[in-house]
Amino acid sequence: MNRSWLRLSVWAVILVILAACAGNTSTPAPTAAGQTAAASQPASVAPVTAPPASVSPGTNQPSSEATEPPPSEEATAEASGTPPPTPVIVAPESVAPGVKLVRWYCCLGTGDDPTQVKVEKKVIEDFNKAHSDIQIEGEFVLYAQAYDTLATEIAGGNPPDIIGPVGFGGANAFSGHWLDLQPLIDSTGFDTSQWESSAVDYFKVGNAQEGLPFAIYPSALFYQVGAFQEIGINEPPHKYGDQYVAIGPAAAALNVSEGTAVPWDYDTARIIAMLLTVDTNNNDATQSGFDPTNIAQYGFEPQRDDLRGLGAYWGAGSLVAPDGTAQIPPQWATAWKWYYNGMWTDHFIVDGPRFNDQVSWNPDGVPFCNGKVAMAENFLWSTYCMTSAGDNWNVAAVPAYNGTQTAAFNADTFRIWKDTANPDAAFTVLQYLLGPAAQALTTTYGAMPAKEDLRDAFFQQLEDSFGTLQNPTDWQVFLDGIDHADVPNFESPLPFNKSGENTYNESLSAINTYATRWDTTQGLDLDSQITQMQADLQAIWDK
Amino acid sequence: MKPLERREALWGFIFISPWIIGFVLFTMLPTLATLGLSFTNFSLATSAPLAFVGLKNYQDMLADPQVWASLEVTFTFAAFWLPMTLIVPFMVAVILNSPSLRGSSLFRILIFLPYVIPFVAGVLIWQNTLSPETGWLNEGLRALGWANPPDWLNDPTWIYPGLVLVGVWGIGGAVIINLAGLQNVPTELYDAAKIDGAGWWGQMRHVTLPLMSPVIFYSLTLGLVEVMQYFLVPFVLKNGTGEPGGSTYFFNLYIYKSFFTFQRMSYGATLAWMLFVITLVLTLALFASARRWVYYAGDRNS
Repeated sequence: MNRSWLRLSVWAVILVILAACAGNTSTPAPTAAGQTAAASQPASVAPVTAPPASVSPGTNQPSSEATEPPPSEEATAEASGTPPPTPVIVAPESVAPGVKLVRWYCCLGTGDDPTQVKVEKKVIEDFNKAHSDIQIEGEFVLYAQAYDTLATEIAGGNPPDIIGPVGFGGANAFSGHWLDLQPLIDSTGFDTSQWESSAVDYFKVGNAQEGLPFAIYPSALFYQVGAFQEIGINEPPHKYGDQYVAIGPAAAALNVSEGTAVPWDYDTARIIAMLLTVDTNNNDATQSGFDPTNIAQYGFEPQRDDLRGLGAYWGAGSLVAPDGTAQIPPQWATAWKWYYNGMWTDHFIVDGPRFNDQVSWNPDGVPFCNGKVAMAENFLWSTYCMTSAGDNWNVAAVPAYNGTQTAAFNADTFRIWKDTANPDAAFTVLQYLLGPAAQALTTTYGAMPAKEDLRDAFFQQLEDSFGTLQNPTDWQVFLDGIDHADVPNFESPLPFNKSGENTYNESLSAINTYATRWDTTQGLDLDSQITQMQADLQAIWDK
Repeated sequence: MKPLERREALWGFIFISPWIIGFVLFTMLPTLATLGLSFTNFSLATSAPLAFVGLKNYQDMLADPQVWASLEVTFTFAAFWLPMTLIVPFMVAVILNSPSLRGSSLFRILIFLPYVIPFVAGVLIWQNTLSPETGWLNEGLRALGWANPPDWLNDPTWIYPGLVLVGVWGIGGAVIINLAGLQNVPTELYDAAKIDGAGWWGQMRHVTLPLMSPVIFYSLTLGLVEVMQYFLVPFVLKNGTGEPGGSTYFFNLYIYKSFFTFQRMSYGATLAWMLFVITLVLTLALFASARRWVYYAGDRNS
């Protein structure tokens, strides 16, 4: 032995520490320079290894509405020594001097699946052929990396011009950076009456018109028809305002006489869900012999991407009190306790360990799609995996709380970066994406078009994609759900802190920590947890 | 320096220059840039213009309870992690080096195999293996009669053993290093020890361990630096939430979140430099202690 080990140690330490401080292993991020280099190549589509469009790898979360930037595949790939996947760049073959280049950045929501990129590429090519003064360059980054990549481009002084499709949550992560479209609407005379005025107003922040309607995602209650038929109870009502007619075991469990109509609310839904939750010995969750460690089918699954969204089904609310301080809407607190008890006490909601089990319980990111969940509240985008849910499912109205039915709502659109060098050209491209290209894009995104005249074709295409179902899907439930949307939207902006920083991501990270804890830990005192969450949010906003 | 030596040195620098250029451009300059950033208000979460803020980020850091909580998590985990990553690879290497082990080549390959699997893929498989309800590990423990086996990923008591299990799975590289060290121990020393009446433990204590001390020092130093940067496994397993109960909110995770989730670039840079200073101090302390316990054959001081 000699001192070579010592020298090796010294060099290893120096290199590892320096690499850490430079962000090589712990703070990975793709370089804007690399993307620019790729962008300068002739029109081409680089190979991609994209996951299904609406599933965030590793998180089991539908991606159309981002919650927290998930573990970046690039972070993990880089740390493991595997090269990260390449963003897909769709660039014009050449850009003549004087021609304005508009960079379209995707995919903070849906849009990264190779089949979608193919359509997006065609949309770009069609525009570029038709315009000699403006050319679009598309940059399609996998959802799992899209936040980090965009943040890095912004940090590098290389932000794109148009970003989308992006939902409210994704947009709020960069709030304060979106262009007010109103002056461009006024100067060009762009007709916004093609949409309902309420839909246009949905994208107003104060007096600024930060977006225009493109795609909407109302929600509904998905359910397995066979599960209800098997135990001889009625299906949930499809029409908002209708009551639930209790027969058979449902009447007995609800303690009403056969055929009684009872309110379709979360109290009723709890009992029905427990009847539909069965263990491997075929006992349901209302029976004394029920074994919660060996559940074969769960009764209910909430939309759990974001605790705010979960709460919104119980009534619209905001975490921001009128005076700007943190608050927890009481209906959300009630919803969270119902959800927590549903997992750990009544056992009719998929618990966290099973939700995270990508083999047996949740391979698609939506447990309902594995056919082992009888009812699930979710957005329209979750239809992406319904082909796995069997051929006998349908949709119904969501239950009521305190007499009001609220179907959480979401919407995607394209937004223009505030500091774009070419606002006029970007607005021209925006009009194209919201207009002539909307049919192709909403179809490939599986998104309901905001324009009513495009909806029939959308639903027909959706219907066709499922093959033969035993019952025709009642799509009208989603359309009716629009009138029961949560206003204000659960993903409304959150305050800036005292240092003038947008706290949206940090606040959401805190909320998600509680969601993970509740999903995975039994025996918590939810009241104190909720109180602590409020205090945590206030502390973040007070920084 | 003679002309020939000068020429050789020049060619040496020419051949090594691609690495030096890459190192300067992609490691050294970004490192220095983060130092500069730590004195600014640079944040993607605000539209405020870039400004010099002096030591404000450092003051904020010292008053930030999450900093201390994350450091506590990191050091607590290190107390589990470091002994395991030293002892287990060493013991495995001792077994593999044993002349009485048959099929040692096969075992070497099997033990090294996980090391070549992409680590993230391995972690994702472990996520399912450690699943409390359906994971293979708990299925096995139940089959052995443990009715309520640990919730490895969701119980603050069991999360560190769970993480150590994942880490031990990938010890192939450390085993190879230890094995190389063991095979460098001169056999005549063992012969001499045997003549002096030393048994297995006597040989281990008086021959193997002293001569392996440089390798152990090397592994300890790298292990220390690696554990200070521990990030990937909890990041993937727990989705970067720090759960259960904040027990996976490692310091490096806080750095990552400050940069890329909270978009507070200058604060993230400040945290990164704090990590650098802590790691440097610990490493220097380790080097200072090396004189007392690391044996270098041929060293004038040994």
